[in-house]
Amino acid sequence: MVQGMADIAIIGLRILLSFYAVFIVYHIFASMRRHKRPEKPLLMLYNRRFDIKIPVLFWENSIGRSKRSDIVIEDGTVSRNHCVLLRRKAGWFINDTGSKSGTKVNGKKTFGRTQVFIDDVITVGGTSLKLLRGEEYDEDIRPSWFFSKASRKPSVSSALLLILVNLFHLFMTAEICITTNSLNTNALLIFGAVTVFSWVIYAFSYGVFSRKNFELEALALWLTGLGSLLLVEQDMSDALVQVASAIMGAVLYMAMLMFIKNPDRVIKWRWAIMIAAVGFLAVNLIFGTIEYGAANRIYIGGISVQPSEIVKIAYIFVGAASLDYLQTRRNFLEFIIFSALCVGALALMGDFGTALIFFITFIVISITRSGDYKTVILALVGATFAVLLVLNFKPYIAERFSIWGHALDDPYNLGYQQAGTLTSIASGGLFGTGVGSGNLRYYGASETDLVFGIVSEEMGLIIAITIAIAICGLVFYARAMTTRSRSTFYSISATCAATLLLTQMCLNIFGCTDILPLTGVTLPFVSAGGSSMLSCWGLLAFIKAADERTYKAG
Amino acid sequence: MKKTMSRSVISIILALAFLLGLGFLCVKYMIDADLWAAQSYNPYMVSGQGLANAGDILDRNGVVLATSEEGKRLYHENESTRKAMLHSVGDGSYNIATAAETAYRDKISGHSKIFGYGLPESLKGKHNLTLTLDSDVCTEVYEAFENRKGACFVYNYKTGEILTMVSTPTYDPLNIPENIEDGSYLNNCISSTYTPGSIFKIVTAAAGFEHIENYENKTFTCEGEKKIGSSKITCLEEHSTLDLKNAFAYSCNIAFGDSALLTGRENMQKTAENMGINKSFRIGEVYTAQGNFDVKKADDISLAWSGIGQYTDTVNPAQMAILCGAIAQGGETRLPHYVKGENSGKSGKLLSEEVAQNLNDLMRYTISDYYGDSMFEGLTVCAKTGTAEVGEDKLPNGWMIGYSIDEDAPLAFAVVVEEGDYGFYSAGPIARVAMLGCAESLRN
Repeated sequence: MVQGMADIAIIGLRILLSFYAVFIVYHIFASMRRHKRPEKPLLMLYNRRFDIKIPVLFWENSIGRSKRSDIVIEDGTVSRNHCVLLRRKAGWFINDTGSKSGTKVNGKKTFGRTQVFIDDVITVGGTSLKLLRGEEYDEDIRPSWFFSKASRKPSVSSALLLILVNLFHLFMTAEICITTNSLNTNALLIFGAVTVFSWVIYAFSYGVFSRKNFELEALALWLTGLGSLLLVEQDMSDALVQVASAIMGAVLYMAMLMFIKNPDRVIKWRWAIMIAAVGFLAVNLIFGTIEYGAANRIYIGGISVQPSEIVKIAYIFVGAASLDYLQTRRNFLEFIIFSALCVGALALMGDFGTALIFFITFIVISITRSGDYKTVILALVGATFAVLLVLNFKPYIAERFSIWGHALDDPYNLGYQQAGTLTSIASGGLFGTGVGSGNLRYYGASETDLVFGIVSEEMGLIIAITIAIAICGLVFYARAMTTRSRSTFYSISATCAATLLLTQMCLNIFGCTDILPLTGVTLPFVSAGGSSMLSCWGLLAFIKAADERTYKAG
Repeated sequence: MKKTMSRSVISIILALAFLLGLGFLCVKYMIDADLWAAQSYNPYMVSGQGLANAGDILDRNGVVLATSEEGKRLYHENESTRKAMLHSVGDGSYNIATAAETAYRDKISGHSKIFGYGLPESLKGKHNLTLTLDSDVCTEVYEAFENRKGACFVYNYKTGEILTMVSTPTYDPLNIPENIEDGSYLNNCISSTYTPGSIFKIVTAAAGFEHIENYENKTFTCEGEKKIGSSKITCLEEHSTLDLKNAFAYSCNIAFGDSALLTGRENMQKTAENMGINKSFRIGEVYTAQGNFDVKKADDISLAWSGIGQYTDTVNPAQMAILCGAIAQGGETRLPHYVKGENSGKSGKLLSEEVAQNLNDLMRYTISDYYGDSMFEGLTVCAKTGTAEVGEDKLPNGWMIGYSIDEDAPLAFAVVVEEGDYGFYSAGPIARVAMLGCAESLRN
């Protein structure tokens, strides 16, 4: 009878935990959706001749004859992409982007970025526009669907959100204690470390940087803690490495936010970043040791590092740029060459999963920054040939792919990992068999490649799917912020960083569940692995930076 | 920035594609989770001795054939019953494909799509499985085989329920021998094929009814052997002149060799295929082995031999019982199953009502006027025996297949005894034990 009651309590806890996860993710996104913006435009341009009031809505605005410009001037003497009106810390600037007739401020022709002030008259082609304050614009601005629930108050306060996350980890710790039938000090240690760590980040965010919003950090901390606690019963030293990497990741996150505070500074650094990234990959190619079929790690002072993970951050740096930069330099040959070098190096290492992540990110960046579909199609054709060549010359890779779609037919050999994952997912059901109790953890590389299966088996399919939806939600969030960012540098980098995480998750989840070929990449924030953890936090910084409140007005 | 916004829709497309994939995974889970869970390597299923925590397997009368106690798999107390039921119950491994422990492992393992295997023992319900088989009759049948190899299959052709399914060689699942006899893992009823011999004359007769005019009134002349080309077919006796009914009852090889020649290659092939000889039939979660009839490239002598169930002809016992069930019901039958509540569907039209009626008359005559109804006391049986030559140094395989037409005992059967010699003397007594036992089981 007592046993029966205890059993019901355990099942109850697991069911509770599943819906609690949904609750947390719901509140993270509900809070994001409440981000409020001023209802008035930032500035207003007044066309005195035709008495037209044009709101200036964004931090960077293209002005031109093209219908897709942010500020459309219907004047034959205006170029399609004439100039860019942009806001920086020092104020507002106008930058002619190679127009035929040039741009004048108060009648004087401009060269490069030229500061403009209220009441200045900007002349593009034959049209003159007077710069006025945004308050003088008297029409409503429609928010995007994502932010349609804007409000001054968040749905839950940031501190409460973090407490919700801490509580989730506490429940997980309790489950580990139940599974191991002891007061599991390892689990308590990890729980304590993650909790302290999360409040230190909170303190930094509020105290040092005076940021009011904490949703992204809460999400990352939730997943980080979840992944670390899953590792406790598998390999305690891995769990400790995981927490330590997350701390380093958080430091990187803060450092990056400071570094990209000025998007124009990043442009100056792009060559240095590119060279460093290529160099890093080259070192990997030379000194890399083969593990799990791919030579994608190097050892620095006994610590295993995966350069490709860090290069992901560099890749986004190089890919994004501010609007006037994009309009002046249409071709992005250097970026294409850089991409080819990255993808090529990864393919040589045998890390095809990461190569694919880079390739898809390349496509997304290319389209987002240029709208140049021709280049993209060309790249796709090139990549198809490359894949065919690889399959031709490296038959063992083709063999690995041959099991795709029917892993259960060969569960002891080629389909070993996928079949084990499917079986574990089914064994866990919707609510799991209890954290620390699963069987999939005994599979090779399960803590990285098959972690979706481990979560499913031990915590249930509901939590596993909730994690997937939460990471996928970052893409919607990042994209909704596109026009709210302080620069296209942020909007492009946020969207692409989120898509990179999505692609990686896609390959991880669908790879281990036999929907796509298994390529062996990590599940962001959850899979074990120091480099992966570091790069996830780094990529998160791009999304954070796209939120205009991240950097206080000025 | 609007351009960046509109171009970045690519990321939303990818995200939606991902969500679609996630939905696909969930649908796959809903459909296949039981199968994923019921893998033989899954530690939740395989611990201790095989299906240590699986549910009970019962026969149609509620007799417990397999159960799990304290992490051990236990079987019926009687050794003969254990051996008789091996191929329908299992031995705790997954070696026997047709065993309920293998084919229905997802049903007895206690897997749930909601809780997976996550429920503690105290909250787990027992997932028992009830078979349609009568273990008493199976035991009697097993004993009647007297250590000979073969198969005995009886099912109720109206409901599809299999009452007897015994395959030998077999072994005791509680004391698995170190050297298991070859073929022991195979359920001969479902998974083996044999040369049919004279039982195939049912198919040849059907082809005759379909393709030869006035076939029912045809007479045949038998001189013990007949030259065809440079070779000859032989008969067991000199039957002189006989009509179709007696040619069938006496199982005259010359008559049916002639019949096959008169019907012709294409027509023989067509009829045999319509009757499902080259087909595999569904039996619950498993499928019968395919028989073989192929005379497309046969010469005349081979065609004649094929008409009397030799040449390259092979059939499967369950398939023969299904054919008998179809003859009993005007050409179509419900397919058999051995787990209560299953439905294997229907056989499809194997032969026309008219041909079925004609075959019924021939098979009924064989029992009523040739072997005598006393063989199946209390039942009205239609049947055909067979003695199939399988090689120089081996005795022929003995066959008997047929069905009863009694309203309260609609049973179709197939019995084969390897190296049993004359079908009537080897398979006949086993068929009798099986049919009388099953009829009693149904009538009680």
